[in-house]
Parts: sequence; C-alpha cells; structure tokens
Amino acid sequence: MNDDRQDGRALAAVWCVLAVVLLVGRVAPVRAADDARQIVLEAQKRTDSVSQRYDGILQTFDAKGKATEKRWTQDRIGAHGKSKVVIRFTAPAEVKGVALLIVNHPDRSSDQWMWTPAIERDRRIALQDRSTRFFGTDFSFEDLEERDVDQDDYTLLGSEAVDGVDCWKIQSVPKPSKASQYTKAIMWVRKDNYAYVKAESYAKEQIVRRLTYGQISNVQGIWTARELTMTDLKRGSVTRLTLDKVEYNLPLKEDDFTLQAIRRP
Amino acid sequence: MGADNRSAVILLRLISWPYFRKHVLRSILTTMGIVLGVAVFVGMHTANQSVLFAFSQTINRIAGKTDLQITAGDNGFREEVLETVQAASPVGVAVPAIEAVIDVEGQGNMLVLGVDMTGDRSLREYDMEGGEDDSVDDPLIFLAQPDSLIVTKVFADRNHLAKGSRLSLGTADGEKTFTVRGVMKSSHLADAFGGNLAVMDIYAAQRMFGRGRTFDRIDLALKPGVPLDNAKQELATLLGPGFDVQAPATRGNQAESMLAGYNMMVDMSSTFALFIGMFIVYNSFATAVTQRRSEIGILRALGATREQIRWLFLGESAVMGLVGSIVGAAFGVVIAGIIAGGISALLGDVYGVARQATDIATRPVVLGSALAIGVITSLVAGLIPARSAARVDPVHALKKGSYEAISAAEGRLRAILALVLAGVSLVCITAGRSRAVFYGGYGSAIVAALLIAPVASLWLAKVLRPVLQRLRPVEGSLAADSLIQAPRRTSASVAALMLSLALILAFAGMARAAYSSIVDWMDTSLNADLFVMPSQRLDLRTTRFPPTMAQEIAALPGVGGVQMFRNGRMAWRGRPAMLVAIQMNSVAETNRHAPIAGDAADMYRKAAAGEGLLVSDSLAQLQQLSLGEIIEIPAPHGVIRLPIVGIILDYTDQQGQILIDRDLFIKYWQDETVSDFRVFVAKGSTIEEVRQRIVERYAGRRTIFVLTNEAARKWILKLTDQWFALMNVQIAIAILVAILGIVNTLTVSITDRRRELGVLKAVGALRGEIRRTIWIEALAVAVLGLVLGFALGAINLYYMLEVARRDIAGLQLAYQFPVTTALVLVPIMLAAAGAAAIWPAESAVRGSLVEALEYE
Repeated sequence: MNDDRQDGRALAAVWCVLAVVLLVGRVAPVRAADDARQIVLEAQKRTDSVSQRYDGILQTFDAKGKATEKRWTQDRIGAHGKSKVVIRFTAPAEVKGVALLIVNHPDRSSDQWMWTPAIERDRRIALQDRSTRFFGTDFSFEDLEERDVDQDDYTLLGSEAVDGVDCWKIQSVPKPSKASQYTKAIMWVRKDNYAYVKAESYAKEQIVRRLTYGQISNVQGIWTARELTMTDLKRGSVTRLTLDKVEYNLPLKEDDFTLQAIRRP
Repeated sequence: MGADNRSAVILLRLISWPYFRKHVLRSILTTMGIVLGVAVFVGMHTANQSVLFAFSQTINRIAGKTDLQITAGDNGFREEVLETVQAASPVGVAVPAIEAVIDVEGQGNMLVLGVDMTGDRSLREYDMEGGEDDSVDDPLIFLAQPDSLIVTKVFADRNHLAKGSRLSLGTADGEKTFTVRGVMKSSHLADAFGGNLAVMDIYAAQRMFGRGRTFDRIDLALKPGVPLDNAKQELATLLGPGFDVQAPATRGNQAESMLAGYNMMVDMSSTFALFIGMFIVYNSFATAVTQRRSEIGILRALGATREQIRWLFLGESAVMGLVGSIVGAAFGVVIAGIIAGGISALLGDVYGVARQATDIATRPVVLGSALAIGVITSLVAGLIPARSAARVDPVHALKKGSYEAISAAEGRLRAILALVLAGVSLVCITAGRSRAVFYGGYGSAIVAALLIAPVASLWLAKVLRPVLQRLRPVEGSLAADSLIQAPRRTSASVAALMLSLALILAFAGMARAAYSSIVDWMDTSLNADLFVMPSQRLDLRTTRFPPTMAQEIAALPGVGGVQMFRNGRMAWRGRPAMLVAIQMNSVAETNRHAPIAGDAADMYRKAAAGEGLLVSDSLAQLQQLSLGEIIEIPAPHGVIRLPIVGIILDYTDQQGQILIDRDLFIKYWQDETVSDFRVFVAKGSTIEEVRQRIVERYAGRRTIFVLTNEAARKWILKLTDQWFALMNVQIAIAILVAILGIVNTLTVSITDRRRELGVLKAVGALRGEIRRTIWIEALAVAVLGLVLGFALGAINLYYMLEVARRDIAGLQLAYQFPVTTALVLVPIMLAAAGAAAIWPAESAVRGSLVEALEYE
C-alpha cells in the first residue's frame, strides 16, 4: 500500500510538472525576438568604442558604369545610438572642407547639419529630407544614422550562410515612434564574431537597397568591415565606401563635435 | 413658331442677301464697326489674360507638389521661421525658396530660383538631361560651390550651353561667372517662365541677391490626410499676422486682382469702341430702312406682317453682328499678339508682375463673350431701324424725304429727355461716393449727349451753311443742304465722331494732368542728385544692398548726404500696397512738397519717432483713408498699429504707398538691407564727379548703377508713357472710326442723291464741282463732329479723372482741358475726312448719267 501511494504521488508530481511545463509553454512560448534583439545588442556591444576615426574613400558607380570618387575623414565619439559623428570631405578640391555633423539620439531621429566653407554657411538637414540620397551616393541621410537597438522590433528568421559563413538572419521593423523611409530590413549577422555581413532594406514589400560588408578584419579587438558596398536596386547604381587607417579609442574631444567646430577649417 | 422661323430664313435669303450683295462695300463698312469694337475687346483682354495666364502657369509649375506657400510680402522673413514651420504638426515637408527676376543681357528676363537641394526634390521634379535621377552631375559639388547653376534645356540650347559651361550674371557683388552643373529637360518645372529659368542653392542665392539671412518663401507639403484649410489656419495662427499662408493658385488670383484698375481701363476702352461701332451699324441700318421703303411697302402689301418685317431687319443686324464678331475676334487675336509684349512690359514695370515671354492664350470665355457682345451690340443698333421698318405704311412707302427729317415733336422730345438725363447726371455728381450712383450719372451724361446729337448736328449744320456758302457758293450750299435734309444720316456719323473725340480728349487730358503732377512730384520730392541702384531698372527689387554702404558712400568727397530707401510690396486690406521704409528725419530736410493733409514738420517728427506713419494720396483715395486714422500693418515680428500723421503725394508705385521710418521697419522685419541709396551732392562738387567716385569705389566689387536725377526722371516718365501708350491704340481706333463713319455716311449720301447728282451733271456741273461738293460735305461732317466732340470731351474728361481717382490708381489729378491735343486733332480729323471722301467723290462723278436720272 505504501508503495502504491508513493508511486501515485510520484506520478502526480510528474503530471504536475508536465502540466506546468505545458501551461508555461502555452503562456510563454520560446521568444525568438528576444534572441534576435540579444544578437543585435551583442553585435552593437562588440563594436562599441569610446571613439573612432578613419579615412574614407567613397566611390559611386552609376548604372552606366560612370565613376566618381570622393575622400573624407570621419571622427566618431560616444556610445552606439548616442554618438556624434563629424565627416569632413578632403577631395576633390571642389568639396574640400565641406563638413557634416550628425548627433545621434537613442529615442529619436538624429540631428544633422552641413557646413559649406565656400559660402560660409551651415544648414540643418531637416527630418523630412532624410530619405534624400546623400550627395548623389546610394546612401541616404537616414542610412548614415546610428540606430539604437530599441528603435526597432526584431525577429529571428533563422540561419543562412553568406559567402560560406554561417549567419543569423534577422528582420528588423522600425517602431512607430521612429520615422523611417523603410518598412523593414533583413540583416545577416555572423555567428562566429557578431559582425554584420549584409543588410537589405525594404520599402513596403520591395527591396530597395542592399548593403554588403566586406574585408572584415580585427582592428584593436573590434571586428571591422573595411569595405561597405551599397547597391540601389531600383537605379542599378553602386556606392563603395572603403575605410582606411581605422583607429579606435582615440582621445577625441566633445568640443570637436559641435556646429562651431565644423565651421573651423 | 417653326413656321415663323422658316419664313424669317426665307426672307433673309430672298430679300436681305440680294441687298447685301448689291451693296457689298457698304455692308463691309458697316460690319467694320462691329469688327473694330470686338477686335479691341478681344485684343486687349486676350493680351492681358495671356500675361496673367503665363504668370499663374509659372507659379504652378514652380510650386510642384506644394500644398501651401508662406510669404511675408516682397520683404521676406528671417531664416528661423523655417524651423518653426518644419516643426508644425500638419507639415510633412517644408523647404525655403528665393525667387528673383534678373535681366540677362541679350536674353531679357530670367527667373532665378534659389532652393535647398538637400530637400527640394521632395516637392519639385528635376528631370535632368542624361536620363539620370540625380539632381545634378555631382550634387555635393553643386552645394559646395556657390557658382553652381542648373538651367533649362531651352535656355541652354538658346545660349549653346552644356554641363560645365560658364555663364556670366550680375550679382550683388558684381558680375560673376557661374558654372552649369545640370540641364533640365523640358518638364513642368523647366517650362516655367518660358524656359528662362535657372536653379541655384538657396544660400548662394542669398549672397547673389544680397538677401542677408532671409528667405522669400517657404513651400510646404502637408502630411497625408491633413485637410488644407485646417493646416492653413493652424500655420497662420502659429506664425502670426505678418505672414501670408496661401495655396499657390491664390497667388495667381492676387496678381489678377492687382490689375483691377488696369482691367477697368481696358473695359472702358472696349466699351467705347463697341459703342462707336454700334453707331455705325445704326447709321447704316437706318439709312437702309429709308432706302428700302418701297421694298418694305411691297412686302407689307403682299401680306408680310409688321412682326416679320421687324424680325427681318433684326435678323440682318444679327447676321452682320455675328460676321463682324467672328472677323473681329480673329483680328483681336492678331492685335493681342502685337500688343502682348507691350502689356507684359507694362504689367511688369507698373505692377511688378514678373514678365516673361508669353504665348497668346485665347480663352473661350473671352471669345464667347466677344461674339455675344458683338451680336448684341449689332442687335441693339438695329432695334430702332427695325421698329421704323415695321411701322412703314405701305401706302406711304414710296414717299421720299419725310423719313430723313426730324420732326419738331421728335426734336422736342429728344431735348427734354436729354435735359432730364443731364439733370440726373448733375445730381449724381453731388449725390455721394457710391459707385453705382457715379457710373449711373456718367452713363446718363453720355446718353444725354447722344440724344441731343441729332438736334445739335442739325442746328450746327444750319449755322455752318452760310460759312460754306461763302467759301464755295454752289458746292458749299449743296453740301450743307445735304446735311440739313438728312439729319439722321448725318447725326449718326457725327455721334460716332463725337464719341471717338470725347474718348481721345479724356485720355489726353488725363495723361497731361498725370504728367504735370508727376513732374511736380519729381521736382519737389524725388530730388536726390544721384540714385545708387542694384539695377538699371528702378522697378527691379531683386537685389539689395547692405546698410554699411551708406557710410562708405557718405565718406566719399563731395557727398553731402545719403538716404537709405527700402521698399517692397505687401498685401494690405486685400490689395497690394508698397511699403516704404525711409529715414524720416533726413527726408524732412529734403522733401519740399507740401503734404496733401497734415503738417509737414509735425508729420515727419512723429513718423521719425515711430509715433505715426505716412500714406500716399493715391492709397488714401483707393482705400478711403483719412488723416488721424489708426491703421494696422502686419509684420513678421508683430503688428504695427499707428495713426496716419500725413498724406503726401507719391507716385513711386501705382498701388499706393505706406511710409514708415526705417528704424520701425528694422524692428518689425529684422532686416537692415537697403533697396537703393539717394545721394545729395555737397556744394562745390559736381554731380558727375560724385557719380564717378561712387562708381570707382565699387568697381569690380559690387554691381551698382548710379543714376542721375535726370536719368531717374526719364525712366519714370517712360513708365508713365507705357501706361498711356494704350491711348495710342485708342487714338488709332478713333481715327479709323472717323474715316469709317464718314465713308459710310458719304457712300449712303451719294446713293441717296444719285438722281440729284445726275441732274447736276445733266445741267452742266463739272466733275471737279461734284467732287468738291462731296469733299465739303465730308469736311462739314468732320467739323460738326469736332465741335460736339470737344464739348463732350470736356465733360468726359471730368468723369475720366473721377474714374482714375476712384477706381484705377487713386490719382487726384487737376482738370486741364488738353488744348494742344484738341488743336492737333483739328487738322488730323479734317485730313481723315478728306481722305475718307476720295473714293465716294470718285464714285459720284463716275456714275452713268442715264442710270442716275432713272434712279428712284
């Protein structure tokens, strides 16, 4: 009798556990979104630095293959989503000295200004203009902004290999509070080092832009893509940004990331 | 009804058509009366509408997807307003714009649009050459280099330009070379302003036109689903009363309302022309009824009713009116093409409507109205003759002579009616300011003159008879008797002449008075020795100067004083007005013209202290303002609320001026730029010396034009000439009418007197004597027309001056009868009469004697 009672209690316990498991499973299924968000967050964390600097070579190829080239230096300061960026064009001569200041915010769109030395004027790039192409390239002003992880909702779509490397495939949809020209983006993140390898941006259900990250190498412990290629699929044009002399955690000053600073030659 | 219509058509075909065929020339001459009137109406309205259409089209093409535009008159507003607008909740996209018209050598006017290319493509389509979607070859270089320009393909082809080409344009900083960095294909935007359009970066445009940190306009598109009216209201509340928030189409309508005064003059000219045409038609039909009495009698005897006879003649006048209207409308379109350029220039110079190359835009409404007016005019002209024809008694149908005469009873009735109407018009003059009363009185005066014209013509012909008899005993008597025996025929021509001359004299009197007044104003008020301008044209306010130039110019040797003058149009009480900002203290010392109302010393003192403002007399007339009245002027940074402390004479702008102290303007517009500088030369220096020093001071550094007072006066008088150039069209029409009317009268006269002329030839009259009879008759008609025309002209001048004061430009002009014009008209009209008599005189001597004697 005692054995029977013990067996019965054990069985009841198992049923309870099963019931709890099932119940919990129904109430709280496994959340891939949490995983996706975690992946993106981790990817951002791994690229975090106090500051960054590089020399950029911006090449634009139109649909007929005609190429133009510009060069700039970029300085960046601050954490991801709250950073400030200054881009100064260094070549060709006609654009030398033109500077762009981008101040990113975690809870809203960034503020952007442009300084033109030839007319000694700065202008604010208004919010509604962010979808405009960045000076004839295939990047838009919005593409230059950093996005805080909480500005989008993420969904893990599974795994996919890109150039032989196993990657997570993640969909991100901008939250209603974030004004964006895109309705969603699909990103591929390497499983081995959390580096981005590709991102495709959609307007409604149509893919409009594709960004590929190439020449990924470790610079001061941070996996860095030294070649960014943006393709405008509607226009058939390509813009390639090559990062040279990448440095992290330099002693840059906050004062160098102001409107007054970009006005200085 | 159907049977009646059919019978009317049959009568037209069997009776009217053969008559017209037999008297082709007279029919053509009669129709010409309607042709001229309709041609003037169509020509002037079409030219006017073409220019306005082009203006509206330019606005719409440049507007693109713009839902609303924000302006603050001509003066613009500070850049900071843009952020306020962009942050407003209904706004989806808001971009700034500067729009300026410049004079390009050899090209005429070009519209330069300054935009912020980083966002402007949200509103405007830039369809570039090369099929690329890029705004320009390299958008960053376009923004980085202030010499960047996008031009249209039309402009590029005309000037052999391509991407990379260089183009010289005048800027505030002198002549600069620009680089074409893009060429726009023909498109909605590129076709604006006739293709004479260039696009540049807005901040480069600020520099080019000396705008400081202001924009002319903000163009915006609303967020999807936002109602236009709600957004308009919200933005107007947000920005305050100094701003205008309107849809692009409304700006076109505002330009049209600006031209209300000018349109009124056009309508008056057209009405007069049609009135005159009506008299020619009336004359011809009245004569035709007389001549066709026997025909009418036969028709009546055969059973035609009075109604059918009436409709026959009305039908003839309607057909004539329709034919005349169609020909007149076609002729009018040709006239429009000829005068469109002149009207375009007038509207640009006088009213500030940006002028551009225009195609003639014929509006169905104008053409339809012209056809209707022509037919109605002809029908009205034919009413009385048709009624006369219907009253013809078949028994008396063959009786000659009595129908030409004006019976004593009819003469008395006309005189009484004329007196009554004259009395009405006198009462209306004193009855008050109501428009209906004034124009009612005007109309009564004209109708009174027309009623009395036959009686007056008859009386004058009797007075003239002994004079003509003395000149040429036989020919003179015959000519005078012809006029006396056929007063109806004579009076219609005389009435037409009278109306023409009355119009010419009224315009001439107005022009003379305006000239005198303007010259007087220039002598006493516009009395600076030199004017430092950004353009050779005083009306172009595209580019402005920095205020620092005042000190620079004042520091030059020989300069006694410098005044800073700033002006710009704005909407005020629903109409455009010119806001003028001047240094009142300085003007008080230089302006010698006594104010129309107010004390000179007191008004300038108060205005300088910001305690009052001045208005021009023309504005006071147009808007019924009075001394002491407090008026409000909305500005970007508040509302100015001040009393009128002086009303002055000022012809700077047709729309009238509000004058405030410069400091007040700076306070409320936050804008220190200057439109032009007025320089006074110190004693001991010559004007030319100082002028040269100013030119040298800024050579190569700034685009300036230094005009002497004489050059400025010439420019202003040239503008006045343009305004009154319209009158030349009227004068030409009047002379044509004179010739037409006299030829018509003489042609009818000769036909009527065929038997009489045949008898003369039979009893031995020489050809020369017969010719002289006709010539003298023509000259006599001209003399009658001149006398009555001068009399009516004197009255008409009064009314025209009142119209100018009340409704056109608020001008208070002195009454001065244009004696010189009147004296010049005498030989012109006599010569026209002589020319008109040549063909009828030849026709009179060439007719067959036998046929003439057989003529009934």
